[in-house]
Amino acid sequence: MRQDILRGIRFADFTWAGAGPFSTKIFSDFGAEVIKIESVTRPDSVRTGGPFAGGRPGMDRSGYFASRNTGKQSLTLNLKSEEGRAIARDLIARADVVSNNFGPGAMERLGFSYDDVRAIRPDIVYLGMPMYGDDGPRAELLGVGMTISAVTGLMWLTGYGEGRSIGPGTHYPDHAANPYHAAFAVMAALRHRRRTGEGMKIDLAQVESTINMIGPSYVEYSGTGIEPAITGNRSRWHAPHNIFRCRGEDAWVAITVMADAQWPALCAALGLGALAAEPGLAGAAGRVAAVGRIEAAIARAVAERDGEELAAALQQAGVPAAPVQSARELIDRDPQLRARGYWQRIDHPEMGETGFTSPPYRFDGERVTLARPPLLGEHTDAVLRDTLGYPEERIAALREAGVLQ
Amino acid sequence: MTTARPYSGVRILDLTRELGGYATRLFADLGAEVVRVEPPEGASDRRRPPPLPGLNSDVPGGAPVAFLAANKASVTLDLGEEAGLATFAALARTAQILAIEPGPDQPDVTAEALAANPALVVAIFSHFGLGGPHSGWLGSDLVTQAAGGLAWLSGTPDEAPLRVAGEQTPMVASLYGAVAMGIALWDAELRGRGHVIDVSAQECIAHSLQNAVQVYDLEKRISRRGGEGTRDCSEDMFRCKDGWVFLAAPPTLGISWRQLVAWMAEAGHPEASRLGEPKWLDRPWRNTAPAKAEFRAIFESFLADRTQLDLTEEALRRKVVLSPVARISETVKDPQLVYRNYFVEVPHPALGRNLTFPGAPFRLSRPVWHIDRPAPAVGQDNDRILAGL
Repeated sequence: MRQDILRGIRFADFTWAGAGPFSTKIFSDFGAEVIKIESVTRPDSVRTGGPFAGGRPGMDRSGYFASRNTGKQSLTLNLKSEEGRAIARDLIARADVVSNNFGPGAMERLGFSYDDVRAIRPDIVYLGMPMYGDDGPRAELLGVGMTISAVTGLMWLTGYGEGRSIGPGTHYPDHAANPYHAAFAVMAALRHRRRTGEGMKIDLAQVESTINMIGPSYVEYSGTGIEPAITGNRSRWHAPHNIFRCRGEDAWVAITVMADAQWPALCAALGLGALAAEPGLAGAAGRVAAVGRIEAAIARAVAERDGEELAAALQQAGVPAAPVQSARELIDRDPQLRARGYWQRIDHPEMGETGFTSPPYRFDGERVTLARPPLLGEHTDAVLRDTLGYPEERIAALREAGVLQ
Repeated sequence: MTTARPYSGVRILDLTRELGGYATRLFADLGAEVVRVEPPEGASDRRRPPPLPGLNSDVPGGAPVAFLAANKASVTLDLGEEAGLATFAALARTAQILAIEPGPDQPDVTAEALAANPALVVAIFSHFGLGGPHSGWLGSDLVTQAAGGLAWLSGTPDEAPLRVAGEQTPMVASLYGAVAMGIALWDAELRGRGHVIDVSAQECIAHSLQNAVQVYDLEKRISRRGGEGTRDCSEDMFRCKDGWVFLAAPPTLGISWRQLVAWMAEAGHPEASRLGEPKWLDRPWRNTAPAKAEFRAIFESFLADRTQLDLTEEALRRKVVLSPVARISETVKDPQLVYRNYFVEVPHPALGRNLTFPGAPFRLSRPVWHIDRPAPAVGQDNDRILAGL
C-alpha cells in the first residue's frame, strides 16, 4: 500500500548522483513531500548515466536515476541566478529538511550554508554529506564511492587473502552505508525537533559513516593490536565456508557450516561419508586446520551439481547454502523474492513499465508501494503555484527569464 | 536537568543476536534505552568471534558484542518459563520498540509482546524474511551476500565471486531496519499506530547493488565482477612505493584525468606523452583488458618512487581522484580523522583498559550522540530494570 506516515514533512532536496538521493528517497516512499531541486543545464549525473530504458539514452530514461528518486517532485531552477536562489529560499522557508551531498563549500557559495538556512527557517533539519567532512586537511580530497572504501580499510580487507586485496566491485558505501545512516539521522533529528522545537545540522562525513560498517574490525584491531585478517570467502572460525563452482557457465554456490551439527549433515548430503567419519573434523577448529582438503572434496562433489537444486537440498539438510545470484537470477528466478513481492513494476511515461526494488522489508505484512520518479522539471509549475503561492504571470515571467532552467 | 536527546524516552527491547544489533545500537547512541533481553547464560552473540585476548571466558563477548552492545543494558529472563514470559510481558508494556530475531536459540515472543502492548513497533530480522518458500532457510554473511547478489559483483573474473569484508550482511540489514523503525515509531507516537516490520537481509543486500538490477531490467546486461567491459582502466588499486593507492580518472571525471596527465607531464615522467594519444579518449576501448594492462604499466611506473602520502597530498592539490588504500592500522592515524577527533575511547571493564571505537557515523550540531557505557555484562541491569516493573 502507499504509505503516508511522513505526510506533512517537506524536503528542499539539493542531493544529486547516488548516495544523497538514495537517502531522501525513503522519505518520499513513506509519504513525505520531497522536492528535488534540479538544473536543466547541469542535470543530475545519474540522469545522463545509464542504464537507459531500452538502451536508448534520454534525460528521463535512466534506470539509475529512477531507482533513487521514486515519489519525488522535480523543480528545475537556475541557481546561478539571484531569482533562482530567491525561489530556493522561499522553498526553504516552507521546508522541514534541507539536504545536500555536495563537496565542502558548495552550499556556502550558493548562499545556503547552515547559518544562511537557519536565518530563513530557525528549526530546520540540515543534512550535508561531504565525503570527508566539512573541515580538515583532507576535506577537499575528491573521491567516488570506491575512494571511501579505500581510505576506510574496506578495500584492503576485501580480497582473496593476504596481499590479494581487491575491494568491493561496486561503489559500495554509496548504496547502503551512507544513504541510510543519513536517513536515520534525519529521522532522529525530526523527532528531536518535534519534542523540543530545535532543529540541527547533520554533518555526515561519508568516510566516518562507512568506518562504522566495519566497526567490529576496528574494535578487534584495538583489542589485539593485529591487523584483521583478509579471509576472502573463508572464515577464521568456521569451515567449510566458501564459494564453490558448480554446473553451468560461471555458476557458483555458497556453502557455510556455522555449527558442528551441520557438518555431518553436509557430508551426508554430498556423499562425503569418509570425511564425516574422521573424529578430527568433528569440531570447527579441526575443520579450519584441514580446510584445504575439505574444500577440495566439496569442490569435486558439487562440480556437476545444479547450484539451485544443491542449495535447496543442503538447506533441507539444515546447512546454510545459496546459489551465487546475479541480477538476472534475482529478478528472473529467485522464488523467495518473487513470493514476497519484492519487485514492483511501475508504468513511466518515458520508460514504459519498469522494475523497481521495494524497500527491503514488509510493513504490516504489505509492501510499501512506490510512486514513479519525476520527469526533469515535471513539478516546477505546481511547486511554484501551489507550495509557494506564486501567481501564474510571475511563473511565466520567471520562465521567460530563464530562471526555471 | 539532562539534555534531551533525539531518542530520549524510548525503551527498546533488544532480542537480536546476529542481524539487528547495529540497528538498536544506533538508537542507543542517540538516547534510547536499549535493553538486551538475554537467557540466564547470556545471548548467543556473546560467543561470536573474533574474541578479545585477555578474557578467560566467552562472556561478556568478543569484538562484535563490544561494538554492537555498547550503550545497551542487559537483563536476563528465561523465556521458556511462564514466570520469565510474564516478566517479559510486563517489560513490553514499558517499551516502544521490540527488535527480535527468532531462532533455534530463542523462542518467538512477538505475539506475547503485542498482546501486552499493541502499540509496539516490532522489527523482526531474518535472513530471508517471513513467508515464502525460503522463509525457513538458514543464512550466514556469506550465504546471504551470495543469495542477495552482492558476492557476484566482487572479485576477479578468473576466480570465484567474492564477498565484501567485515560481515556486511548484518550491518546492511540493521541500517535498513533502523530507518524503518524510526519511521514506524514516528507513526506510533503521533497517531498511536503500532507496526510490524519484517526485515529480510537478503532483500537488504539486493537493495544495495549499485545499478546492477536496473542494468539487467532495462538493458538485459549482467554486471560482472572485475568490471570487464564496464569499468574504466583508471578505476582500480595501483602499487606505489610504500603501498597502494586507489585512482579514479575516467572520462566521466574529466578533471581527474586531465590533471593526472598534466601532473605526469609536469613531473617529466617519460611515459606521460603516451597518455596524450587519441586512443585514451575512446571510452569503450578504455574498458578493455589491453587498455587496463597498458594504463597500469604506465601509471605504476610513475608511482614506483612516490609514497602514498606524497601522492595523496599532490592529488588533493591537483584535484585528482586518488587516495591511499589504507589498512586499519593506518586509518586510525589518518590526518583528517585525527583532525576531526573521530575515534573515541570506550572502557572495557573486563579487559581493564580502553578500546578505540569508530566515532559517530554522523556529526550533529547538538551534543546528543555519545557512548555512555560499554557493552553490559550478562544481567547487569536486572535490579534496576526488572525491580521497577
